[in-house]
Amino acid sequence: MSYGPNPRQQASWDWRAAANFIGGGSGSGLVVFAAFADVRGGAGQLLLAAGLTLIALGLLCVWLEIGRPWRALNVFSNWRRSWMSREAIVGVLLFAAGAMVAADVMASWWVVALLAFVFAYCQARILRAAKGIPAWREPWLTPYLLVTAVTEGAGLFWLCASQYRAATLPLLAALGVFVVVRLMAWLAYRRHLRGAAPVALAALDGVGRLLQLWGTAIPLALVVIAMSGVVVGPVMFTIAAVAGLCAVVAGAWTKWTLITQAGFNQGFALAHLPVRGVRPAGY
Amino acid sequence: MTMATHTMRRVPTYCYQCVAGPDLLTVKVVDGVATEVEPNFCAADVHPGGGKVCVKAYGLVQKTYNPNRVLSPMKRTNPAKGRNEEPGFVAITWDEALDLIGTRLNEVRANGLTDASGYPRVAASFGGGGTPQSYMGTLPAFLAAWGPVDMGFGSGQGVKCYHSEHLYGEFWHRAFIVAPDTPLCNYLISLGANVEASGGVAGIRRHAEARVRGMKRVQVEPHLSVTGACSAQWVPIKPKTDAAFLFALMHVLLHEVPRVRLDVPFLTRHTASPYLVGPHGYYLRDRATRKPLVWDARTTAAQVHDAADIEEALCGSHEVDAIEIGPDGDVLGDGLLRGQTGFDRLVVHMEAYSPEWAAAICDVPAATIRAIANEFIDHACVGETIDIDGTQMPFRPVAITLGKTVNNGWGGYECCWARTMLAALVGGLEVPGGTIGTTVRLTKPMSQRLASVTPGPDGFMSYPLNPTSRELWSAQAKIRNAYNTMVPLAGNGPWSQALGPSHFSWMFLDATPPGLPRVTLPDVWFVYRTNPAISFWDTQAVGEKMARFPFVVAFAYTRDETNHFADVLLPDATDLESLQLIHIGGTKYVEQFWEHEGYALRQPVVKTRGEARDFTDIATALAQRTGLLPQYNAAINKGAGGVPLKGRYGDFSLDVTHAHARDAIWDAVCRAASADLTEGAQAHGLDWWKEHGLATKRFPRADWYLLPTLVARGLRFELPYQERLQRIGTELGRRLHEHEMHWWDAQLDEYQALPKWKNFPALWEATVIATGGRADDYPFWLLTSRSMQYAWGGNVGIQLMREVADNIAGHRGVIMNSQAAGRLGIEDGDLIELATPQRTVRGRAVLRHGIRPDTLLCLGQFDHWVTPLAKDFGVPSLNTLATMSIALTDATGSGADIVRVKIERVAP
Amino acid sequence: MTRWVMVVDLRRCVGCQTCTAACKHANATPPGVQWRRVLDMEFGEYPDVQRAFVPVGCQHCDEPPCLDVCPTTATKKRTDGIVTIDYDLCIGCSYCAVACPYQARYKTLRPTFAYGKATASEAIRQDDNQLAVATKCTFCVERIDAGLEAGLQPGVDPEATPACANSCIANAITFGDIDDSQSNVSALLRENRHFRMHESLGTGPGFYYLWDREGGP
Repeated sequence: MSYGPNPRQQASWDWRAAANFIGGGSGSGLVVFAAFADVRGGAGQLLLAAGLTLIALGLLCVWLEIGRPWRALNVFSNWRRSWMSREAIVGVLLFAAGAMVAADVMASWWVVALLAFVFAYCQARILRAAKGIPAWREPWLTPYLLVTAVTEGAGLFWLCASQYRAATLPLLAALGVFVVVRLMAWLAYRRHLRGAAPVALAALDGVGRLLQLWGTAIPLALVVIAMSGVVVGPVMFTIAAVAGLCAVVAGAWTKWTLITQAGFNQGFALAHLPVRGVRPAGY
Repeated sequence: MTMATHTMRRVPTYCYQCVAGPDLLTVKVVDGVATEVEPNFCAADVHPGGGKVCVKAYGLVQKTYNPNRVLSPMKRTNPAKGRNEEPGFVAITWDEALDLIGTRLNEVRANGLTDASGYPRVAASFGGGGTPQSYMGTLPAFLAAWGPVDMGFGSGQGVKCYHSEHLYGEFWHRAFIVAPDTPLCNYLISLGANVEASGGVAGIRRHAEARVRGMKRVQVEPHLSVTGACSAQWVPIKPKTDAAFLFALMHVLLHEVPRVRLDVPFLTRHTASPYLVGPHGYYLRDRATRKPLVWDARTTAAQVHDAADIEEALCGSHEVDAIEIGPDGDVLGDGLLRGQTGFDRLVVHMEAYSPEWAAAICDVPAATIRAIANEFIDHACVGETIDIDGTQMPFRPVAITLGKTVNNGWGGYECCWARTMLAALVGGLEVPGGTIGTTVRLTKPMSQRLASVTPGPDGFMSYPLNPTSRELWSAQAKIRNAYNTMVPLAGNGPWSQALGPSHFSWMFLDATPPGLPRVTLPDVWFVYRTNPAISFWDTQAVGEKMARFPFVVAFAYTRDETNHFADVLLPDATDLESLQLIHIGGTKYVEQFWEHEGYALRQPVVKTRGEARDFTDIATALAQRTGLLPQYNAAINKGAGGVPLKGRYGDFSLDVTHAHARDAIWDAVCRAASADLTEGAQAHGLDWWKEHGLATKRFPRADWYLLPTLVARGLRFELPYQERLQRIGTELGRRLHEHEMHWWDAQLDEYQALPKWKNFPALWEATVIATGGRADDYPFWLLTSRSMQYAWGGNVGIQLMREVADNIAGHRGVIMNSQAAGRLGIEDGDLIELATPQRTVRGRAVLRHGIRPDTLLCLGQFDHWVTPLAKDFGVPSLNTLATMSIALTDATGSGADIVRVKIERVAP
Repeated sequence: MTRWVMVVDLRRCVGCQTCTAACKHANATPPGVQWRRVLDMEFGEYPDVQRAFVPVGCQHCDEPPCLDVCPTTATKKRTDGIVTIDYDLCIGCSYCAVACPYQARYKTLRPTFAYGKATASEAIRQDDNQLAVATKCTFCVERIDAGLEAGLQPGVDPEATPACANSCIANAITFGDIDDSQSNVSALLRENRHFRMHESLGTGPGFYYLWDREGGP
């Protein structure tokens, strides 16, 4: 297929890559938030397992996308330079630590949480290193991806919070704070973004509006209602779960959009037009 | 793949797929399989393109191995012919195929070579520009042996070529094709000439060097072609108004620029500018010698133009004792007659054509036109000389080139005349840096430009005009397109048939106009390397007419839209499979100016696939089956293979009595060529040529220019006043009217001594009305432009060409102006329908800024419906919409690729 | 030291795609894969419009983004500046493809031929090692290496020069050693104004575009 000089949506990474950023971000966010929430015991192991499963599903999707899946172990080779190698290595360490915690071999959740955070960071840096895609290489995408990871983790936490006792109001407040911080991070990213194709910017602005309403305003309102004391018990948990769901879906949607709709490359541009024969008048 | 385990060799050969060739290449062959095309760097020093080949040559590997090839002879089983009739081709043996054809041909011979109308019973159509000759081996020998063949069924040649330029260019300065002397030119006005797409390797190379050197090229064209893109300035002119633009340039030079800045000595000595024109518009002549008179400033008396020691006056009006002779020898005046110099007539004639006048017609600001005219004269270096091969020659580094639709069809005469005159005004005709010709095709000896400069009437070069006198003109056309009857300038040589109004052959099948013998179907029609059902105008109608042909033999590469109507398909060995020696070098076609000449061999690079057979073997078999073997061999001996086998330097003639194998024939041709090249010192055979690929000798650069030869022969350019054309036009009109032929009257108006501007665009607008539409409803000019990747190549079925051509805008649809599209609610990629009152075609909109808002552009020639691969392109073609009509045919028998259309977005 | 670079004269290029086709021949790339291609770019609005033809492909950067991202070390940069891909290491993750600002990288998942099934010419050149991995312009590195070994000079001797430069009919593409001040490319860069694509990204492309002569009126 011949492509012209104008920016076009990259065709190398499709929904499978998007799924890795969605699963990896929200899964690692859940692990981090669960640690932060100090959920332990069976519920904690459940959350940990859920987080790692999401990460694993994301990686599985990537494995399905690569051209030579049976050589996948080569992915670890370039840990000195490549954030993809680092993601893979950290992923392995994360699964190992998670398994140890789950099996009670190792007691420290914080190690797992730290690895999960680093995993999310690696993913964020993967996009930043993709110099061919203006919407990805913008450094302000990194904080956004980290914040949304934790926000999505908080959202997932509250999605099933009725099942465990650690769900306290301060943690609900944290969800409220995270969605606001996430929006700020998004706006900062968007404000700094340069060089992206108009179509890519339109896609980002579309998902940005979704993030404002469904990812920020609505979950924040629901958090306020849930914390207001007007509703209690199952109703409060249901409202909090809906808030969490909104936070998760909106975050996932931004990543989906980033990969599959805003992944326009830079196209080509000439710093100077050629002078054919004679220089133009007024040159 | 490691080469160590494979055998690899590089085979030299040539590419002449398009008229801009030939170019030289090598093919890498691994284990007997062609894998790569590469330049022939061994030829870098002699080939003007550095031994390189253009993109089309890279398609030859896929061309060889294309699974869609016809690889065995086939015959039609469905007697019904039509676009919707499946031919039902079945494979047959070569013997069966040749028997079928031989039987038909022998029937023809038995019935007489011409039919009741006097037309040849056998017709043949080959691709344009004569390039198929470089692939058809010894078929020309068979055709020569056969006798009369009608080669006038057009497939593009004759009407869609540089037609007016071919005829008038050769008439005025032996320039069948006109080119700038690019290596020295500093200022080039290019009106629609698309040299970056049609100039081939040599043209692109020369122009690239010129750009970097600083040559300014101004591209005057309705759209920003690749040539416009590579120019210093783009002037988006309204279609078909180029003559007005050129007239305005002439006006500036004649009425605004001081006369001394023109090349007065050139005009005076090397043109007919000082010839005295009488009151009836014909030259005043010396009563005794009938030679045109000039005013001699030295003796202040009229003298014959070639009198010794005269000082011709460029300007002036004088009463002289003379005779004025008009058409058919009519004496229009005798005695004391007032004569005005041709130059003065010119000056008066051009007075009305100011830039302001042209601006309104061309939609180009007067200031732009005036600036270009002034830049032209500023760059002309009038008075300067340059050393070429040790000879001082005038140096005039300015030129004007014309492209298709500018130099053919109505307005072509006016443009060609104005272009040639602009060159003459600054002395830039046929001199270094200026406007020069490349080759000759109508005058003899063919292809030998300088040798063709022989004295003709009135101090001009000779020209083989078809007769218009009462005694010699004949309404009996030699072939169906009536070139010898209707077009005096077409001449009567081997190329003349193809330079007639070749659409007439198709048109007149339905209704032959009064006076001509009824146009008949040929008994046998051969088709090779051409696809008129795609490449001609009104392709649907052409297809319908082909369906009526009783017996069609198509040399077939793949199935296509023309051989869909064939009775027999013959698979010829393709470019990399067959054998032929051709002449290379000298000056040829568009920009092939060599400093060497010689021969190059095309040889079997790989084994022939399937049952495909070398053309030479096919021609020999046809000669055998028709009992023409002695004549066929004799034709080869005479030079039908490109070199006479018996010459000053040896006799390599073939025994005429028996059939010779392909290699034996070409071995003899190779030896003759080798001897010719080395003046008998060598007589290398085929094996030597296979190894070396080519051999050349020096071709002096001074021979690129005609002026020295003209001067040596004491001749002048037949400019500016076209007395001879005026005379033959009037005579032709008389002959036609004597035969009740009034349908050519509009064309007779073209024969003007000094051409006037006519509203050429209106002719196409009138066609809308004539075909049942309202002019306002069809507001767009649809044009076409050459696709370098495809042009002439017959390569639409080659995937590689499709892939790389797609990188250039317009190969996927119809180019239109972005703003104009916006006004119609059309977005890039939308499906749109183009319509004339009679036909419609659909394609995708390709939105660009580099095109006039009133213009649409269909690149190339597509809209295939049989050719494998190409039939899935979905790209429309101008040819589907263009009509054939006498009203749109100019006096040379040519038309132009331009159609008035309307467009609308097709609902998804 | 040696640093191989490509110099493209935009004044000369006419967009004929001969280099594109020559590259496809030399490297036997499948349909749709164009390690070298020529863009058709348009600037401005009617009637002030300009059009340029721009050969592109792997720029063999000083700081190749593809090198940084490749998780397998399949992408390497030689000391002479040529960026290579080890097809045996590459896992086909396409990270390099999204990292490259020049759209130079391709991945073909399954054998692809011009007419569906492999022709004789395609069959003899089919290389399954190049399936499902990243591929791109190599500056015809095998020719360079073999040429150097044979004592030839890349950029001067056709046998040792990339196919695109060899084929260019406008002499728009020149290959050579920029570290050699006497080389063809050094002379061109000295005598002409030039730029590199997306210079602000800091990739340091080994691909220079000439657009005007130096100095003069």
